[in-house]
Amino acid sequence: MDFIYDHISVNTFWTILFTIHALLAIALLGALTHQAMSVLMPVRTGTMSNGFVTRFRAVHGAGYATTVCVLWTITFIFGAWIYTKYRIAIRIPIEQEGFWKTQGFFELKEHYATIGLGLLPIYWIFWNNARDPQYDSARKWLTVTLAAMCWFSFLVGHIVNNVRGFGS
Amino acid sequence: MSSNAQVRAKPASLASSATFRTFALVFAMATPVLYVICDMMNWPLFTYHPGTNRVDLGWAPAVKDEGPAMYWYGWSGSTLLGSAILGGLATLLPENLTRKIPLSLTWILPIAVFPILVYSLKFFWRW
Repeated sequence: MDFIYDHISVNTFWTILFTIHALLAIALLGALTHQAMSVLMPVRTGTMSNGFVTRFRAVHGAGYATTVCVLWTITFIFGAWIYTKYRIAIRIPIEQEGFWKTQGFFELKEHYATIGLGLLPIYWIFWNNARDPQYDSARKWLTVTLAAMCWFSFLVGHIVNNVRGFGS
Repeated sequence: MSSNAQVRAKPASLASSATFRTFALVFAMATPVLYVICDMMNWPLFTYHPGTNRVDLGWAPAVKDEGPAMYWYGWSGSTLLGSAILGGLATLLPENLTRKIPLSLTWILPIAVFPILVYSLKFFWRW
């Protein structure tokens, strides 16, 4: 990576990586939230309402499945990459300041990032067989579970970032 | 079935494969269980030392004056490898047997391991 550091500072490099990780996470969060809403509160044919909530849950959930798998995987890779820097530059000061619960929640987020990765292949199958009624219930609740995991990870990541501040 | 779920008319060939379905189903069920085991038993596939960029096979302690050791990559590696092996072995079973595996376990197991993972992090819950 030394050739990059000839052009930008070490701090800027990791800040760029973190920003990409955050933007990918936002895209993933949006896709999964739309999809979860579409299975929890599906819009019935003939619904007359055209409000924001109706439009939000009226997405074609199946069309999001591959994107969600790709986004989760790439976000995971970027997260795993910046974790190397986090372990030294962020976690050690967090422990020195005694923010133990913050670090505990971060560990939980990492656990669920890996567990979520393992759920993606069957999630993809469920959504690519959207006409098969045997998958309806599992598809619905697996999607909601993944959305909850994504929201938890996103919020914890946001809070942990606030501990030391952007670019630190 | 919801109207949104009926959008895709023709499933992709991989998605309609019974073998891949069995693999993915067992892979999804095994991941949370194996992850908890690897975490609780501290069985990383490898240990990464970010201060020196060194990788040790299996579990290795942090080296004095060389910074911390990281095990999460190794736990993830152990889990995904173990889940892939179990998923692969499951494809050897007769389909009438694998069809009996409850699909709901794919979302119940990740939720069921939550209290265990919280307990495994008890070191951090200091009030």
